[in-house]
Amino acid sequence: MHLEKTDGVVHPVETLDGCVPLHISIGSVPLSLFIREPALREPASRRYREFADHSQNGFPIVLRKTAKQVWESGEFSYLLDDAGLVLRSQGAEFHGVRHEYALDSLLRILLTMVLLPQRGFLLHGATVVRDGRAYIFFGRSGAGKSTVASLSPKGSVLTDEISLIRYSDGCWQAHGTPFWGEFRAAGQNRLVPVAGFYLLKQATEERVEILSVKQALRALLPCVLFFAGEKSAHETLLRTLLGLTQEIPCHRLYFRRNAEFWRVIAA
Amino acid sequence: MSGEITRNPKLAWREVDGAMVIISPEDSQVHELNETASLFWKHAEGKTLDELVERISAEYEVARETARADLEELLAALGEKQLMFVAPEGKG
Repeated sequence: MHLEKTDGVVHPVETLDGCVPLHISIGSVPLSLFIREPALREPASRRYREFADHSQNGFPIVLRKTAKQVWESGEFSYLLDDAGLVLRSQGAEFHGVRHEYALDSLLRILLTMVLLPQRGFLLHGATVVRDGRAYIFFGRSGAGKSTVASLSPKGSVLTDEISLIRYSDGCWQAHGTPFWGEFRAAGQNRLVPVAGFYLLKQATEERVEILSVKQALRALLPCVLFFAGEKSAHETLLRTLLGLTQEIPCHRLYFRRNAEFWRVIAA
Repeated sequence: MSGEITRNPKLAWREVDGAMVIISPEDSQVHELNETASLFWKHAEGKTLDELVERISAEYEVARETARADLEELLAALGEKQLMFVAPEGKG
């Protein structure tokens, strides 16, 4: 696997000698994490255990202890406090990662970039599976994502915080993610066809309103995790979301803090 | 104001149900244009205000002064949001 490139130049990443990578897969994106420090490797193994992968040939991510001093003209770089990410066509480097919070944050950023050319994205949303289909409840912080997840049967929640959506096998699918609220280690590594999107709005009654394509785009865009600054990346995202909203219904869900909302969704 | 009207080249945009949805990558701001502004966005690119005044007054049978005032108002609104502007003359 490699990222789509515009200049055709291959940018390899040097791995760590003698370091056995941790193979995981998130959103059907195989990743090989090269982590030498046990203080980081062990918690990472625990956190991503549900996402362990045996393909052995994932997109290499090399964790380097020191903060990067000189930033080269890599394909994409992102600074997050003291830690940083450099993404190249054939791998990524995470610099200055001191704790698993930073590792988790950089993984999210990396995934947004890797998924983008593959019609995929991360969304601030909870994914709940019901009757074999995924319902995505999205909204900004405080909208009620974790409330919806907590009101859903155990085992039916693929994430209560960050949903991963991508187009594959001819349809839009929601994938389980290890990205949960309050940094809980949870998740199931499976994918389910998407039934619909629900923008959460806390109210005094249960009600559901269908959104037009335009309204859906406006609702989704601010909730997509996105870190690229280039126009072309935004164009790709717009194209992906437009394709999605033309195929999958998007709603505004007015709900109280109880499980009655399923009544209006099923109606 | 006789330079060419141009879209801000930094913006990403798509037409959705006849309306333009525009994203500014610099601040992730999302703009949605109404029907009139969307038409302007589609057709004004590369034209001068004088050319548009001529065209609209002919097609819609409105006085040139009225057409000019309406177009200037629209362009000012789009300019305020840094979506479109008039390029300096001679710099197409």
